[in-house]
Amino acid sequence: MDNPNHKTFDQELAASLSRGRFIAVTGFADRVVGAIRSDRRRRVVIRWSSIATAAAACLVAVFTIAAPSEEALNRQTFALVAHDESTQFADLLGASADLSLLSPAVEKSSVVEVLNAPGS
Amino acid sequence: MLPDDEDDKRLMALVAEGDDDALRLLVQRHHARLVGYLRGEVGSQATAEELAMEVFIRLHRAASRWRPEAKLSTYLIHIAHNLVLNEWRRRGRKPTTALEFAAEPGDITQQSARRVAELDEAFQRAIAQLPPEQRTAILLVVQQELPYEDIAEIMGVPVSSVKTWIHRARSRLRELLKDFYGNQ
Repeated sequence: MDNPNHKTFDQELAASLSRGRFIAVTGFADRVVGAIRSDRRRRVVIRWSSIATAAAACLVAVFTIAAPSEEALNRQTFALVAHDESTQFADLLGASADLSLLSPAVEKSSVVEVLNAPGS
Repeated sequence: MLPDDEDDKRLMALVAEGDDDALRLLVQRHHARLVGYLRGEVGSQATAEELAMEVFIRLHRAASRWRPEAKLSTYLIHIAHNLVLNEWRRRGRKPTTALEFAAEPGDITQQSARRVAELDEAFQRAIAQLPPEQRTAILLVVQQELPYEDIAEIMGVPVSSVKTWIHRARSRLRELLKDFYGNQ
C-alpha cells in the first residue's frame, strides 16, 4: 500500500535535490584553465629539476672516481719527499763517493793524523 | 547517443593534444552539474568549487588515457566521488555541520518561496547526517538521475548494494524530517 506521505516526501526530496543539481559558477572555466597552465609549468620545472639533479650526480661520480683519494695523495707526497731527501743524501754521498775513490791511495788513519796535526 | 556526448569525445581528443580552448568548453559544459553534486556531498560551496577544480585538473592529466566508450559526465562524477572519499578521510567521516545555504533571491517574502527555502535547508541538513555511502547513493540517483548501473560503477559496488543504500537513505531522511512533515 502506497503511503501518500511517502509519495509526498519522495516528490519533495526529488524537487529539493533537483534545485541543487546545477550550480553555475561565474568565471569557473577561466580559473580551471589558469590552474591547469600553472600545473603544467610546475610539472615542467619538476621534470627539468630531476634531469639536472641526475646530471649533477653523474658529474660528481665522475670526479670522485677520477680524482685520487686523500690517502693516495699522502702516499705520493711522502714518496716525493723521500725521493727529495734521498737526492740530497746522494749529493752528500757523492762527495764521499769521491773520497771512496781516493781511499785505495789514502789511508783513513793518515788523513785523521794530518787533520789533527798541530798547525794543519 | 546525445550530441553532447559525441562532442565531448571530440573535445577530449583536443584536450589530450594540449588545446586549452577545448578544455574551457568542456568546463563550461560540465562544471555546473559537478559543483551541484559536490555541494550536496560536502555542504560547502567553497569546498565544492575546490574539489571541482581538482576534478578538471585530474581530467586534464588523464586526457590521453580517457576511454571514449565512457560517458564523460559519468567519468567526471567518478573522479569527484573519489575526491569526496579523500575529503571524508581527511575530515574523519564527520557529518557536515556548517552548511552554506544560499537563499533564493527575488520572491523570498512570499510564503511559498520561504517554505521552499526552509524545505531545501532541512533536506540539506538531513542529507549531511547520512552515512557517506547512503548520501552518495541518494545524491546520484535523485539529484543526478543516474541509473543504478552507473552508480554501482562509480562507487565500485554491486547494484544490490546501491539499492540497499538508497532504501536506507530514504528511510533515514524520513525519520530525520518527521517533525518537519508533522507540522504540515
